[in-house]
Amino acid sequence: MESAELLEKPEKVSTDHFLLKILLKGREPVPGQFINIRIGRETDPLLRRPFSVFDWSDNRASIIIRIAGRGTSLLSELSPGPIDVIGPFGKGFTLAENKDVLLVGGGVGNAPLFFLARMLKERKCRITYVYGHRSKGHMFLTDVYRDLCHEFIPVTDDGSEGTRGYAGDIAGGIKRPGDYSHVYACGPHEMMKKTALAFSMKSRVEVSIERYFGCGTGLCSGCTIECADGLKRVCKDGPVFPGDNILWDRMV
Amino acid sequence: MAGLVDLSVKIGSLVIKNPVTAASGTAGYGEDLAGFTGLSRFGAIFTKGLSLEPRRGNRGNRILETPSGMLNSIGLENVGLKKFIDEKLPFLLKDGAVVIPNIAGHSEEENVELSRILSCTEGVSAIELNVSCPNVKEGGIAFGTDLKIFTSLLEKTRKAASCPLIVKLSPNVTDISLFAVRAGEIGADAVSAVNTFLGMKIDIKSRKPHFINKVAGLSGPAIRPLAVRAVFKIYEKVNIPIIGIGGIASLEDMIEFLMAGSSAVSIGTMNLVDPWCAEKLIDGLEKYMAEEKFGKISDITGLAHGM
Ligand SMILES: Cc1cc2nc3c(=O)[nH]c(=O)nc-3n(C[C@H](O)[C@H](O)[C@H](O)COP(=O)(O)OP(=O)(O)OC[C@H]3O[C@@H](n4cnc5c(N)ncnc54)[C@H](O)[C@@H]3O)c2cc1C
Ligand SMILES: Cc1cc2nc3c(=O)[nH]c(=O)nc-3n(C[C@H](O)[C@H](O)[C@H](O)COP(=O)(O)O)c2cc1C
Ligand code: FES
Repeated sequence: MESAELLEKPEKVSTDHFLLKILLKGREPVPGQFINIRIGRETDPLLRRPFSVFDWSDNRASIIIRIAGRGTSLLSELSPGPIDVIGPFGKGFTLAENKDVLLVGGGVGNAPLFFLARMLKERKCRITYVYGHRSKGHMFLTDVYRDLCHEFIPVTDDGSEGTRGYAGDIAGGIKRPGDYSHVYACGPHEMMKKTALAFSMKSRVEVSIERYFGCGTGLCSGCTIECADGLKRVCKDGPVFPGDNILWDRMV
Repeated sequence: MAGLVDLSVKIGSLVIKNPVTAASGTAGYGEDLAGFTGLSRFGAIFTKGLSLEPRRGNRGNRILETPSGMLNSIGLENVGLKKFIDEKLPFLLKDGAVVIPNIAGHSEEENVELSRILSCTEGVSAIELNVSCPNVKEGGIAFGTDLKIFTSLLEKTRKAASCPLIVKLSPNVTDISLFAVRAGEIGADAVSAVNTFLGMKIDIKSRKPHFINKVAGLSGPAIRPLAVRAVFKIYEKVNIPIIGIGGIASLEDMIEFLMAGSSAVSIGTMNLVDPWCAEKLIDGLEKYMAEEKFGKISDITGLAHGM
């Protein structure tokens, strides 16, 4: 069993979002994989909560958490020290090399795309990044994202930063489909659906799907979705899937 | 020290090497648990409820956490009998598991057919009949909640099954011991108690039930006292072994179930939270028994019934 440690007090990085740095010995994750945190020492909260790896370097994993409910609130108030984490788990993104790529993130869905962007940059990709969020106040760490990108396009629901609108629409509007060999998306359902539909003909589209997890380890079938080629468990066969394999209308 | 305690338990003609098993639906078909705890460590693995044909399971929400528990509405998604025998069983056996398939047919005929085929399949140690499934022909009432329907199903299944037969009882009845007694009379080798309790969640924003099926199954530590009582009550009335299930999370919880009358236990929801849970319980039990000078499991079973 891995032993993990929260290295610092969770740092508030924007409205409702916190950065956690965790010492996690074991396998090195690939972008798109998640770690699974048990928050309660006893049985409440009971189930582990999954979080995508925001970044990683020598046994230090960081995650961005958005306060969604009780578990994430408790996590944001944690003191440094031992923390019950397992993982990394799941199937991550495929990494393009020396290509023009498009990344589309919505809300906390931008988190796994940072690690991805960093790895793609190392592989000499030219990155166009559409970073969507509710408002300027919700956007986290935009400067470190911008530094990795050839083109960085901020988008907010209320227009308080960058273009006003939704990341999926803006990305769809860029539409020079042939321009990108790979398109990667993580965020709300509609955004990923729009992105997948706009680009699947010409690009390899990969999306990171979110479901309510019972276990995150493949045991319970709680996260099953219907894909074009059959039933898949998001925690085991995903969370990253080829966009053209998702049956979007069956998901809701 | 270790040699002095005997952890083995007898279920009909089957002897399992320790009383800690994985509950159906929380261990898949072993593949994903094997990465954490070697399958040969478990007394037995109860695999996911099987039907003759593969089942897609329920649409919509499937899981929701509740205080110290969870609701599930998986809808018995499973790979079907053929794939189970061709692909899943060989893996389980290769990893040294004692395999007890959970049978979840939606008609008498389907359950009989599953029992017949599985009980003569090499490598199947016993079968567990899940009577919490709806009987489609009787308007969807669960087999395990109507004594007449239960009796009829069990008589036919008992005839069809040539291996040890365990009946997994539904707690959603007024007196679970009546069903346990009947199972004993018909010749079941053991009962498992209990399956999930029916529960519900209303989403107050949408003003609708959270699950498409409306009701869902409640499991986890939240149900433990209810399950302990069920085991206690059954033990007063039957002589066949009881496999105690319901929210077991610690050594103390497991011993409570044994003292209430269980001969073995299953770990369910806690496998999802801590995939090393069963392994820790097995090690802990051996130590506990040595310290408390219990030589064998039957020394603990039913202790709470006094005299
Ligand atoms: C593969 C994966 C990666 C994720 N990565 C991140 C991440 O990097 N950062 C982040 O902030 N969040 C991430 N999430 C979502 C995160 O797991 C949930 O927000 C969290 O579990 C909510 O816990 P809670 O106790 O605060 O909320 P609860 O009080 O349990 O619920 C509050 C709300 O959150 C929803 N919720 C609860 N659990 C989940 C879940 N597993 N998936 C989706 N919604 C859920 C509930 O439906 C409810 O509406 C990820 C989810 C998945 C499946
Ligand atoms: C996700 C999930 C799936 C389950 N699937 C089955 C099943 O297929 N057949 C069955 O007999 N019981 C099934 N159960 C019930 C468990 O085997 C067990 O009886 C119940 O969860 C109570 O134990 P616990 O509190 O330790 O989880 C399932 C439970 C859960 C949580
Ligand atoms: S969450 Fe349990 S199988 Fe994926």
